[in-house]
Amino acid sequence: MTATIGETALEQTGTKVVRAACPQDCPDTCAMLVTVDGEGKATDVAGDPDHPYTNGGLCVKVNNYLDRVYDQTRVLFPMRRTGPKGSGRFERITWEDAVSEIAAKFKAIAAEHGPEAIMPVSYLGTQGILNGLNVGDPFFAKLGATVAERTYCDSGSCTAYAMTIGDTAGVDPESLVHSKFILVWACNIMSTNLHLWPYIAKARRNGAKVVVVDPIRSRTAAAADQHIALRPGTDGALALAMAHVIIAEGLTDQDYIDNYTVGFPEFAERVEQYTPEWAETETGVPAETIRTLAREYATAQPSVIRIGVAVERHAGGGQTVRALSCLPGLVGAWRKPGGGILQLPLWAFPVNWGAFMHPEMLTPGTRVVNQYLLGAALAGDLPEGPPLKALMVYNSNPVVTTPDQARLIEGLQREDLFTVVSEQFMTDTAEYADIVLPATTQLEQDDIMFSWGHLYVTYNHRSIDPIGEAVPNTELFRRLAAAMGWDDPVFQRSDAEMIAEAFDWSHPNMAGITVESLQEKGWQRLNVPAPDAYAPHAEGNFPTPSGKAEFVSAAAAGGNFVVPLFRQGSNDHQPGQPVDPLPHYIPPRESAAANPELAARYPLNLLTPKSHAFLNSSFGSHEFHRRVADEHSLIVHPDDAAARGIAQGDPVRVFNDRGEFTVVANLQDTVPVGVVVSPMGGWRKNSKAGATLAAVNPTVFGDLGNAPTFSDTLVEVEIA
Amino acid sequence: MAYVVTEACIDVQDRACMEECPVDCIYPGDRMMYIHPDECVDCGKCMPACPNDAIFWEYKTPPEQAPFIEANALFVRSHGLGGGGEDADPIDEDHPLVAQRRPR
Repeated sequence: MTATIGETALEQTGTKVVRAACPQDCPDTCAMLVTVDGEGKATDVAGDPDHPYTNGGLCVKVNNYLDRVYDQTRVLFPMRRTGPKGSGRFERITWEDAVSEIAAKFKAIAAEHGPEAIMPVSYLGTQGILNGLNVGDPFFAKLGATVAERTYCDSGSCTAYAMTIGDTAGVDPESLVHSKFILVWACNIMSTNLHLWPYIAKARRNGAKVVVVDPIRSRTAAAADQHIALRPGTDGALALAMAHVIIAEGLTDQDYIDNYTVGFPEFAERVEQYTPEWAETETGVPAETIRTLAREYATAQPSVIRIGVAVERHAGGGQTVRALSCLPGLVGAWRKPGGGILQLPLWAFPVNWGAFMHPEMLTPGTRVVNQYLLGAALAGDLPEGPPLKALMVYNSNPVVTTPDQARLIEGLQREDLFTVVSEQFMTDTAEYADIVLPATTQLEQDDIMFSWGHLYVTYNHRSIDPIGEAVPNTELFRRLAAAMGWDDPVFQRSDAEMIAEAFDWSHPNMAGITVESLQEKGWQRLNVPAPDAYAPHAEGNFPTPSGKAEFVSAAAAGGNFVVPLFRQGSNDHQPGQPVDPLPHYIPPRESAAANPELAARYPLNLLTPKSHAFLNSSFGSHEFHRRVADEHSLIVHPDDAAARGIAQGDPVRVFNDRGEFTVVANLQDTVPVGVVVSPMGGWRKNSKAGATLAAVNPTVFGDLGNAPTFSDTLVEVEIA
Repeated sequence: MAYVVTEACIDVQDRACMEECPVDCIYPGDRMMYIHPDECVDCGKCMPACPNDAIFWEYKTPPEQAPFIEANALFVRSHGLGGGGEDADPIDEDHPLVAQRRPR
């Protein structure tokens, strides 16, 4: 007999089932059940079958989570480097020695160079409210360290979306069963948002058409009714041409436009130039296909657009999301449940970000450095202020996730750089650390989770004792703060006290939800209307300055910005460049049209989507995941391969002016001629020639929110 | 890469797996169910659903059941199956590995 219970029952004997939550940086935030035997060892991790959205399923990444928890290669004790940087040679030390050494170093560097010589490097290796995005922010704010800008995921998209319709949750993913037309845009749901698919499948059984816009025939595109394969980075042209057709053919919902939007006449004038014929030359999609798409999208109501993170990853990614965010207002899709746009339902959660970021602790004017520019920053290419002398890395593996890989590694090898890495595994980054600290997995820590893919709060009970001397990130920063001699209350908070501060519990969306109820039930739906009634913008009510959907954005007047959530709450040193308040087309930078000289030397578009079995670089050291992920491979169209004498399985060198990496060729016609695909996340130490795709990806940002432009990359490929 | 239906499904075909599969990639043969390896997304939801413990992840399939990995793939490919098991036309055949077993 087993019983599903919370953490207190851990002290009883016998097998228990403990409610938990998947910690990975994924929209699905699955409710998990962890079985623990009488000896306190976890024996199973499974999905909670009672959870309406995740419905008992996990995924290929997390099904074998126990292989991760109990992996023999876990980092279990604090360690100090004994060999050259990157050699992987370490000796075990005590926690006390580790934190006092770190504190002494940080103090000395701050005294000699100023605290901005120290920088945190982190993101969402775990995304719990306690141990995730903001866990180190108060520590580094108090220290006065350089502010880390973390625009890994949807930052450009968020800026664009907020400029257009505000920070709205948008469509409830569970409402998609009511959609009549589902437009999946730059999102490989089968690999990155799996639990949404059954809702789409159900809508389809009810007669909905499912169309996928993606340059490549992803698993999701293969399962759809129609796949529209456009040239990489030209999504904005397609979206704007859709608006052109909808307006030109009178397919708009004029009543919705009149009452709940602003700037329609200007928008209509703007999109006059974006004809389907023009878009065909940009996107490669036939004009007639664009017309049909626009007509079907406009007339099959409610229609919904599901945008993936990838849509922002080119020069004009921001304005692309602006255009896409305008489309539902144009056709009145918001009127009914299942109509509108689905980006990040995260905004429905009244997370008490301030209690975790503590932006008021920042020293005004503190330098901000984007983590994508870490390689340059370590080389001394920095905004004003001291050179970087110390890094503290947690929840992150920048050697794999950050472009400019060769320069980053060169920087990490600097003898005058002090690097601390808190990790579960000896990652490519941890190998360059001076001090490595052991971090717990989700089973070994308490946390409470928002979701950016559904509307349920999820509680994660610690189900097993920490292994070795691993500690949660919360405890890591408590120990570091104590070693610094800081006694501010913010550094004294227990995990339980932090959980009590996680949300604005008085917010209407939290009615009926308490810490105690979550601990007992494991998860609860936000107090918002049921999926068959949830139509938050049926009558406008957008969280914009006008309260309407803004074709002409008022927020654009303030210039380009990164949502402060992605930069420790800081609003200083925002990018600030002027933003056209009307959506418009910005072509990709690396294309034959924009840069013929570059395209002549590097004729292939490289796309580096999320792999099927890694979560960014997480799971990159696990044998089965590596096999499923097809790591360090390059999908090449057979015609492109033939032109280069490349056969299936050949090692190939992928290169451009920025760098090169070597992978194995995989000939498939799932990619069009002219496009090659290498799934991201494989570790450098498992690569063929000491480099991964991060060596060739660009460091320049897209037009909004300092989004990366990884889908705006030209390369050439040859046999290695 | 996929989950795999093995021997314990023969002449049972409970079909609970089909109901659980989020991508509808499980197809009924005459005496056994088959998982389409090109459509399976490795989510594993079918495995605990099976009342007979007939389903394994390819990489964790017991050695004596390993021939079923190929049997699943060959069966669905040779019959040109795809696009969803729920609506698939019934097939009154099986892979030889299954057909040769004596009925239970």
